[in-house]
Amino acid sequence: MKRRMIASVLACMMTASLIGGCGSKPTEDTPDQTTGGAGSAPSTQAAAPDAGTDDAPDAGSASNEELSGTLTFAIWDNNLNDFIEENDMVGKFQEQYPNIDIEVEKIKDDSEYWNAMKMRASANQLPDIMFNKPFTLSRFKDYLLDLSDTQACANNELASGYALDGKVLGIPMTSGYEYVYYWKDMFAEAGVEVPTTWGEFEEAAKTLQDYYGKDNPNFMAVACGLKDEWPDYPYMEFMPALESGNGQNWNTMATQDAPFAEGTDINSAYKKVYELFTSGVLGKDPLGLGNDQVTSLFAAKDAAIIALGDWGLQNIQDGAEDISQLGTFYLPTRNSESDPYNVIVQGDSFMGVTTHSKNPEAAVAFVEWFYSDAWYPDYINYVSSASSMTNFPKDKDPVLAESDTLCPDKVLVMYDGGGDDFTAIQNETTFDYKKLGAQMMTDGFDLDAALAELDTKWAAAREKLGIQ
Amino acid sequence: MNRLNKKRRQFIVLSLLIPMLLLIAFVVFPAIDLFRMSFTSWDGYSPVKEFNGINNYISMLQNKDLWMSLKNNAVYFFVHLLMIVVELAFAVLLTGKLRAAKFYKTMVFMPYIINGVAISYAFSYFFSPINGAFDAILTTMHLEGLIRSWLSDGSIVNYVLAFVSLWRFSGYHVILFMAALQSVPQDILESARVDGANTWQLFRYIQVPAIMLMVDFVLFDNIRGALQVFDIPFVMTAGGPGYASSTFTLYTIETAFTYSNFGLASTMAVAIMVMIVLIYVIQNYLIHGLILKDRRKEA
Repeated sequence: MKRRMIASVLACMMTASLIGGCGSKPTEDTPDQTTGGAGSAPSTQAAAPDAGTDDAPDAGSASNEELSGTLTFAIWDNNLNDFIEENDMVGKFQEQYPNIDIEVEKIKDDSEYWNAMKMRASANQLPDIMFNKPFTLSRFKDYLLDLSDTQACANNELASGYALDGKVLGIPMTSGYEYVYYWKDMFAEAGVEVPTTWGEFEEAAKTLQDYYGKDNPNFMAVACGLKDEWPDYPYMEFMPALESGNGQNWNTMATQDAPFAEGTDINSAYKKVYELFTSGVLGKDPLGLGNDQVTSLFAAKDAAIIALGDWGLQNIQDGAEDISQLGTFYLPTRNSESDPYNVIVQGDSFMGVTTHSKNPEAAVAFVEWFYSDAWYPDYINYVSSASSMTNFPKDKDPVLAESDTLCPDKVLVMYDGGGDDFTAIQNETTFDYKKLGAQMMTDGFDLDAALAELDTKWAAAREKLGIQ
Repeated sequence: MNRLNKKRRQFIVLSLLIPMLLLIAFVVFPAIDLFRMSFTSWDGYSPVKEFNGINNYISMLQNKDLWMSLKNNAVYFFVHLLMIVVELAFAVLLTGKLRAAKFYKTMVFMPYIINGVAISYAFSYFFSPINGAFDAILTTMHLEGLIRSWLSDGSIVNYVLAFVSLWRFSGYHVILFMAALQSVPQDILESARVDGANTWQLFRYIQVPAIMLMVDFVLFDNIRGALQVFDIPFVMTAGGPGYASSTFTLYTIETAFTYSNFGLASTMAVAIMVMIVLIYVIQNYLIHGLILKDRRKEA
């Protein structure tokens, strides 16, 4: 019996070692800094190894041949990976920098990417060049060099808008816009006009559901694969910012004790989403379908509307037989036509050089080369996303350009994913806006109670973390 | 001869030392580190791991979503536990003289060797509310009234997922039982038959006691598997809707990677370790101390 007990304890330890193994200790030359609790901002800035400063080295000071070493370039984007392989990125780069080698490291997807980067940051083993999203910039800010002196930064229309403490920590590769895709012929047949206010949007969805749903029980006026939770992001993540016109809304929330209270932007936005989601326009079982499934159903015209980013166009094109009737408009969240028509824009895929790079000059040279005419124009024309570089403008795809024609008076809201304080409170309260959107569809869900509970948790978290 | 003895001793020492070192490096040390981390507020990427006493343990006990997730683990545990009897019956059937037994053995074991993620994806489509094969089967059989939201109805989703888990793991248990049954000495069975024992008596008084070690292992594997179930709910429902199909491991991973709270996640990992041992001890006591105690007396 005793032996069996020991064996069972050892077996348990073995299973636990999987998680335990992840927690490697930081090495001695980890950047020197102090933290004030989980996720809070370090009080001192990290120093770049060798360079002794977190300013980017001047790539121009060394000639191309003098720069040498091997750079690790970690990516998650499949399109970028395909393009790199098809167009021999390393070979082209080495035509200009013959002594620098590039190792491209492809990670499965962005979720896996952040997990890997978190581990590697603590183990002092970040790649030389890494990507960030707006919501991860503040998380990795102590591990990124300032690129504000680079030509790539000067030519980028969004980079300086995302500077933290005056430092540009990444150059966005694309400008991301959000669209509502719709089938024009289905709208015309049901007698629905393109909506320009939230009320019209709700009305259009209901009309479409009534019109097509009576013959097709599988029909969804608005396709949203809530089984995956994240596909509700155009509503749950962006609508609070669209409601207020404040791209910094998450940071504003971090300064408030009751940001979910009646009358606040997020409260109004989530009430609108709740009413839309529970009105039956998402079809018979949105929680049972994932994004791939609803996108295929939209492409097959079993749905009339789907809200996705510019990247979604490629997926719809792949699944649809004919896209001549495909159109786009911007999600109208305003209450009346006299209100501003707010539209989200965000920098995406921020390319940065890490403080763990042993060849920071070579890494900065690579960033400069990536955004130069030797590489960037071909890449940006290959993907469906918009250019973020002023020196390489790109015409929008005609399907996406239609939304600009329909909405000449749009007001761009530059979205910020939330800074240190917001992230710390979010982690403490386990506030997951995407999960909340899916929960709205569950039986017995009470939005007012959920928002009141969040307010209570929010105030407690701010007090615990000492955030003013 | 002395030289041979020396070599033999060297071999024995090395055979002991190498696995011990590997065990210490990859199991014991990470487990100790995990325990240490469970008392910190480490966020997964900061170089500093601040000690925060037993705050993580208090926070874990107060987390109602976590305990709801544990309740979902219980569904897997009991469904699998009930099926162990059926698995044992299958094993006895397949060990006997059954026509095409080899074919059945292969079929039963096949789901276990297929990749778990692939199975989960396949079943996601099988239970899909639109163009789903299961709903189509029910419709063909004129049983439309039984159609439900298989993956989004909080009251049934865990049973659907437990069914997929059964489909995958039952074959493994059947094979384990079969291996144990085949090791029962034939002469004992023969002599019992000569003494007039029927099939049920053979099973109850000879086969079951002889394979008790394997039954113990399968019961332990059931506890471990039920508490650590991850891939099936992760792929099929992502723990949703809300936390309706979340499991303890799923919640632990979410705490670590979504909410960047590795300290709390380590606490949960320690808790799961303790729970596995605790449930095993209780189960062992119930089976050996209460149920089998009477049988021993009878014997």
